[in-house]
This record gives sequence, C-alpha cells and structure tokens, in this order.
Amino acid sequence: MEQSVNYLGLIPLFPLMGAVLIGLLHIFTCKRTALPEKVYGILACIGPVLSFILALKVFVALKELAPEARFLTHKAFIWFSVGELHIDMGFLADPLSCLMLLFVTFIGSLIHIYSIGYMGGDKNYGKFFAYMNLFLGSMLVLVLGDGPVVMFVGWEGVGLCSYLLISFYSEDRSNVLAGNKAFIVNRIGDLGFVLGMSFLFWGIGASGFDYLSLKANVQYLEPTIALAVCLLLFIGAAGKSAQIPLYVWLPDAMAGPTPVSALIHAATMVTAGVYMVARFSFLYAGVELAGSIVAWIGILTALLAAIFGMFQEDIKKVLAYSTVSQLGYMFAGVGVAAYSAGIFHVFTHAFFKALLFLGAGSVIYALHHEQNIWKMGGLKSKMPKTYITMVIGALALSGCPPFSGFFSKDEILYSALATGHFGIWAVGVLVAGMTAYYTFRMIFVVFHGEPRDQHAYEHASDAPHVMTVPLIILAVGALFAGFFNLPGIFGGDQIVSHWLAPSLSEHHPHGSLFLEILAIGASVVAFAIGIKIAYGKFGKGAPEPSFSGFADFAYHKFYVDELYDRIIVQPYKAIGSSIWKVIEPNVTDAPVKGVSRLYMALGAAFKVFQVGYVRIYALYMVLGLSIMSLLLSQSLN
Amino acid sequence: MMHGYLYLSIILFCLGIVGVVARRNVFTVFMSIELMLNAANLAFVTFARVHESMDGHVLAMMVMAVAAAEAALALAVVILLHKHKSKLDTNVFSLLKG
Amino acid sequence: MFADGLFILFAVLAVLGAIGLVLFQHPMNGAMSFVVTLISLAGLYALLSAKLIFALQLIVYAGAIMSLIVFIIMFLNIQPEDLPKEETKLFYILGGGIVVVPIGLFLAKIVKSLPEHSAALMGDNFGGIKEVGLLLFRDWLIPFEIVSLLLLVSLVGAVILASKRGITK
Repeated sequence: MEQSVNYLGLIPLFPLMGAVLIGLLHIFTCKRTALPEKVYGILACIGPVLSFILALKVFVALKELAPEARFLTHKAFIWFSVGELHIDMGFLADPLSCLMLLFVTFIGSLIHIYSIGYMGGDKNYGKFFAYMNLFLGSMLVLVLGDGPVVMFVGWEGVGLCSYLLISFYSEDRSNVLAGNKAFIVNRIGDLGFVLGMSFLFWGIGASGFDYLSLKANVQYLEPTIALAVCLLLFIGAAGKSAQIPLYVWLPDAMAGPTPVSALIHAATMVTAGVYMVARFSFLYAGVELAGSIVAWIGILTALLAAIFGMFQEDIKKVLAYSTVSQLGYMFAGVGVAAYSAGIFHVFTHAFFKALLFLGAGSVIYALHHEQNIWKMGGLKSKMPKTYITMVIGALALSGCPPFSGFFSKDEILYSALATGHFGIWAVGVLVAGMTAYYTFRMIFVVFHGEPRDQHAYEHASDAPHVMTVPLIILAVGALFAGFFNLPGIFGGDQIVSHWLAPSLSEHHPHGSLFLEILAIGASVVAFAIGIKIAYGKFGKGAPEPSFSGFADFAYHKFYVDELYDRIIVQPYKAIGSSIWKVIEPNVTDAPVKGVSRLYMALGAAFKVFQVGYVRIYALYMVLGLSIMSLLLSQSLN
Repeated sequence: MMHGYLYLSIILFCLGIVGVVARRNVFTVFMSIELMLNAANLAFVTFARVHESMDGHVLAMMVMAVAAAEAALALAVVILLHKHKSKLDTNVFSLLKG
Repeated sequence: MFADGLFILFAVLAVLGAIGLVLFQHPMNGAMSFVVTLISLAGLYALLSAKLIFALQLIVYAGAIMSLIVFIIMFLNIQPEDLPKEETKLFYILGGGIVVVPIGLFLAKIVKSLPEHSAALMGDNFGGIKEVGLLLFRDWLIPFEIVSLLLLVSLVGAVILASKRGITK
C-alpha cells in the first residue's frame, strides 16, 4: 500500500544543508576578505534546484501508482516517544504535498536565481542566501511532514525565517519592528495551532498521530472537539496566512528585500495556512460550521484587503494587500469544501504573485529603491520586458480569461455558488472587480502616463538577464498554469482536481450549467468594470490624489493597527509594568528579602562568638565536649 | 594497677587540653597537642597489656608516625609564621574574626 | 613492689613535666620539661612490657621529634621580647582547668567501672620487635602502608611550605 522511498528526506535536506554551508562560509569570511558573490549565488541555487529535480522524481513515482495508492513515505528516524505519543521524523508525499512541492521548489529556485542579481552589492549577501535556503528548507519540511508535529517544525521554521528576513536591513529600526510584529502575530497563531494539535491528540491521537492514522480515526472524534480543533487550527492558519484578525503583519513585512516578499507571498509562508486546512480536509469536511466560519472570514479578509489595496501608494504594499485578498479567496474556497479549488488558486497565485513581486523588484531596482508609485510613471518604454511580464501578472491576478488566475478564482466562486453560499459569492465577485481596479491602478500609474520624476526616469532600464529570465519563465507560468485545471465547460477535464482527489475529502458539487455560466459571466463583468474604472482614472496619467472621508479612512487602513495598539498592546504593557512595579517587590520579592534579612540578623547575633583566635575556637570545642561529658556522666550511674 | 595508668593518661590528656586552650605560644600549643597524643598512646599500651594483645602497640606506632608527620608540617608552618610576622603568637592570626 | 615504686616515680615525673610544659613562659623550658614527660612515659611503657614501644618512644619521640622541635626553637633564635606577653595566662589556665574537669571526671568514672588488672611483667613473647613486627606486617599491612603515604605527603608539604620565597598577601 504505502511505499517507502528514502530520497524523500533529501528534498528538505538540500536547502537546509545549503543554509548551513552558506551560513558558515559567511560567518568565517565576512570579517576578512569576503568571498565573491558568485560563490554564494551558485551555492544557494544548488539546493533548491536539486530539491526541484527530486520533486519531479516524486511526481513521476506517484504518477505510476494507482490513484488510490498514491502515498510515498519515508521515516527518517524516531524523534521521540512519550507515553502514547510516538513521533517519527517522517515524510509523506501524496498528490497534495507533491503539488505543493513542485511549485514551491520551482518558484523558490527562480526567486533564488533572481536574488543573485537583485541583492548584488549587499554586504550581507551570504547571510541573505543562508536565510533564504533555510526558509525554503523549512517550508519543505512543513509540506512534506507526515504529521502535525513535523509540520509544526516547518511551521515554526518559516516563522523564524520570515522574522530574520523581514528585519534583514536591520540598520533601520522600523524594519526590525516590522520583523518583531510578524513574529509576535505569528506566535499568536501558533498558540492556536498548538492548542488545536493538543485537542486533536487528546481526542484521537492515541492510535497514531500522523495524517494517515488521523484520517482513519477521524470518525471517532466527538463533534464539539472536532469543532474546537478546526477553529483553533484555523487561528494558526490565520496567523500564518494573514487572515482577519491577524493579517496586520503582512503589509509591514514589505520591509524586507523584495525577493523575500516574493518568497513569502508566493512559495512559502502564507500558503502554509491554506495548505494546512487542505491537509486537514478530512477534519473540516465533517464540521460544516467550521467550514462556513473559515469561508466567511476568508471572504471578509478579501474584501477588507481589497479596500486597503485601492488606496496604497507603496508598490509593494499594493501587492501585499492583493496577497491578503487572494489568500482570503483561498480560504473561502477551502471553507466551502472546495479544497482542490483553494489549492489550485494557491498554485496559480504562486506564479503570478511571484511574477508581480519580482517585477516590482525590478522597478524598484531600476529606480534605486524608490517604492512610491506616485514618483514613478511612464516606465513602459524604458523597461519593456518588465512591463509586459507585469501586465501578464496583473491580468492573471485580476482574473482576466484565459490567464491562470481566472480559472482558479472562478473555480472558487463557482464552488461557493454551487454549495449555496450566495453571500460569499456576491462578495467574491465584488472583490474581483476591486482587484482588477487596484491592480491596474498600479500598472497605469507606474508604467503609463508622463514620468513624474524625470531624473529617475532617465536612469531606469531593464534589469540584467539573471533577473529578467525568471520573470519571463514566471510570466509563461502565469499565462498557462490555469490550463492544468480547465473546467468541463471549456472542454478540459480538471487534471489538478483529479490529481488531488485522493488526498482531499471533497465532494464535487454538481451545479447546473446555468450556475457555471453565471459565475463566469459575473467574474468577467466585474473584471471589465474594474479595469474600466482604473483606466478612466489613471490610464492617461494622474496627479497624486489627496484622500478625504472614507478614502482617507481606508488609506489609514481603518486605523486597525492603532486599534490593536490601544486595546491589546497598551493594556498588556500596563499589566506588565504594574506587575513589575507593584506585585514583584511586594509579593514575590518580599519573602525572599525577608529570609535574607533574617539570616543577616542571625549572623550579626552570632558574630560575637567569632573572635578570630584559634585557641578560643578550641575552647568552644572543649566546652562542648565538657557539657557532653556532664550529661553522659549523669546517665552512667 | 591498671587504673593507675589510666588515671595518669586522663591527667596528661587534660593538661594537654589546658595547654592548647590557655597558651598563646605556638610551640607550647604544639607540644601540648603532642602531650595529648602521648596520653592516648599510654592508654593504648595499657589496654594492650590488659588484653595481652599487641594491637595496641601497633596503634601506638601509628600515632607516633602521625605525630612525626604533624611535627614536620607544623614546624614548617611555624617557620612561615615567624618569617611573615616575626611573631610566635597565635593571636596574630585573627582573620576569622566576624 | 619495686615496679609499683617505679610507676609512682614515673607518673609523678610525667605529670610534673606536663605541668611545666603548660606553665613555662619560654618554649625552650617547656620543651625540656616535655622531654622529661616523654622519658617517664617510656619508662611506663617498659613497665607495661611494651619493649618495642619503649624503644620507639625514646628514639622517635624523645629523640627525633623533640630534637626537631628544639632545633627549630633554637633556629628561630627567640628572644624573651619576641614571646607573646601573656598577662592573663593564669586566668586562662584556671578557666581551662574548670572546663576540663568534667571531661576528666567523666573519663575517670569510666575507668573506675572497669575491672582492676595486674600489670605484672610479661614473658618474652609479648611486645618484642619480632612479635609486633609480625602483627604489623600481617594484620595491619594496609594501615601501615597508608601511614607511609601520609609521611610522604607531609614530607612534600613541609618542603613546599618551608621553601616558599615570598608570601603573597
């Protein structure tokens, strides 16, 4: 049934080894003569590329098996065994993790190659690649882990690496704060994950705590516990994948270098939450309420992020909110039990979001680290390759047929409609229109119209090949990735959905043709309206707008950060300082200090006897002996 | 007759204690300790005679060996003391005073 | 009777020597007085038929150890003004004596409870060098070796202590 293959463990091992090697090289050389950047660059790319090759091998091996028996496992070693809990450092490749594996390693490799150019000249070049490799390795552990515990190792690993990379330019205090914010918000989510995991173990963990055993035993789980587990795990997913109310870290995460943003948004980190929900689809499938909550939170996040995205002025923040918004779609998809649709959107999103970020990175690179879109403009003629590829990415993101984003987004919306979630569908269509609007607002402002900063404009040009080639590859992916899952109405047969079917507990809804056409039509109309408005406002070039009223409110992100600061951070600090100033000295320290004072008083009292003369000490001894003799001679009678 | 020997041993021992406690001269203190050891030796030898077994003699020899070792070390210390402070007074050293 | 007379003589000499040791101001006088005690003790050992111990007491104690002490006393060339002035010496001796009395009485009480035993001289098979030597090397071999180690250690220690050039404060 299950097949054990030992090369499975090598997939995460390659990037991790790369991280260790590069890290050591960097530590031992950074003080003296730095190694040439090429050494680091090549070393850093070897690991991801080897992993990608092995992922292809896994894919081929899985394909040869019968669909129901597509499991490859590898138990590297027994990690620990306490009471009923037996955890192996085990890896599992099934269609779901294999799909994740393929695009994570593929896009990860491209981003590594791109980084060779983008990071050129940075004095922490080696450190950067060490972190990047560690990031990718952690993500692969997360994807390949055969149980929640191994997944959690990778889960924490990506959290750590995101912290390290977001605050990579650590000379600037605000970058460090952004890293801290990401780390702390993720920690809140991790608490949910750990609690959910504990409940799950408490419920059905006794007979094996890996996915396959859990899936086999899931019917023994009590419904209330199942609901609690689902919601707690979703808190974890919300932390990692930036959903309401824990989305606040992701826009701030733009403080890191642009390839890091691409890696976080496309291949690693944020997709982990969606992957986790899909991984536990056997659990969510049984609890409809949890699914609805997930779906509604997802779509509301999508709406909120889209509103924010419409008013941003930082090119990377626009993209960041678009990611939050797309992640909302993914959760809406997995929430309405369309797991394959959600995962498929993860897959296509990885291509076009990586493409957009790397494109944005090229623009920023060309303009010497200028990120404000109102200082760009008219770059179309100066950076044709970047322009074309970014337009492809933007079309895919906006859901323009036949780009990849259209198919995956449409699949989600159709699933929502077919399962009777009309509210979700309606909001989803609205967000689709808004997505088209803010994406093309960005494109028009950056590439069309008149240059706003003449000096920067004149020096701008396309990036070197090492950066443009990954862009072109990703553009091809963003164009055609959608065809992998062509729905029946376009003559396809949903290859990805069928491929994923054995891993997921999913029932394909059988909607009518009318619903299908309605879903597609609404999406296309929303896209068209969105792009029309954007062209109308920004197509010919526009001055930097000043916001007022609702727009100003949205520009400041509804003051959510300030609200969190007021209702969570400040009270927490107040509690902390009151404990420090009141409780600590009076309650905890007082007995300790009292004991020490008691002994000091006793010492002062007994000090009198310590005259310092040896013979007096001898006299004490003899005195004791004498008293003992007196007492003993009483008893001798 | 044995009682006489044992009483003598007690008297010598007590005199040794008095010497250690009352005198400040290092040599006297040291020889008082030797006196106590000798008192113990006398008791050992007496009991060996009483039980007509020579283990007491062996122990007495051990005590003598220990006394010799002690003498060597103690006199080295006395020389250091004299070199350092030019005094033979045990009260010179009162560093343990609280 | 002769033996009893000798015992009384030696006992009185030993006690007098010990009292002298405690009372003499100058350590040289104390040492001489202590030698008297040691020699009297040697005599007592002889009365107790401990021939080997008698010899060792004379050779090792009265001979070696005491001559070492006397040598050091003379080596340091002690003047009367170097000696500690012990104005309260008698007071201390009195106090020490009072403290010691209970101990002495207690021990005496124990001795009293023991049965009396003759101290007549024993024959050739007791206390000679051969007999004690056999016992020493048969039953007491390990303690004997340990004592030899102790002596070695004290030898090394004495050398190191005495040869120290300067003393760090």
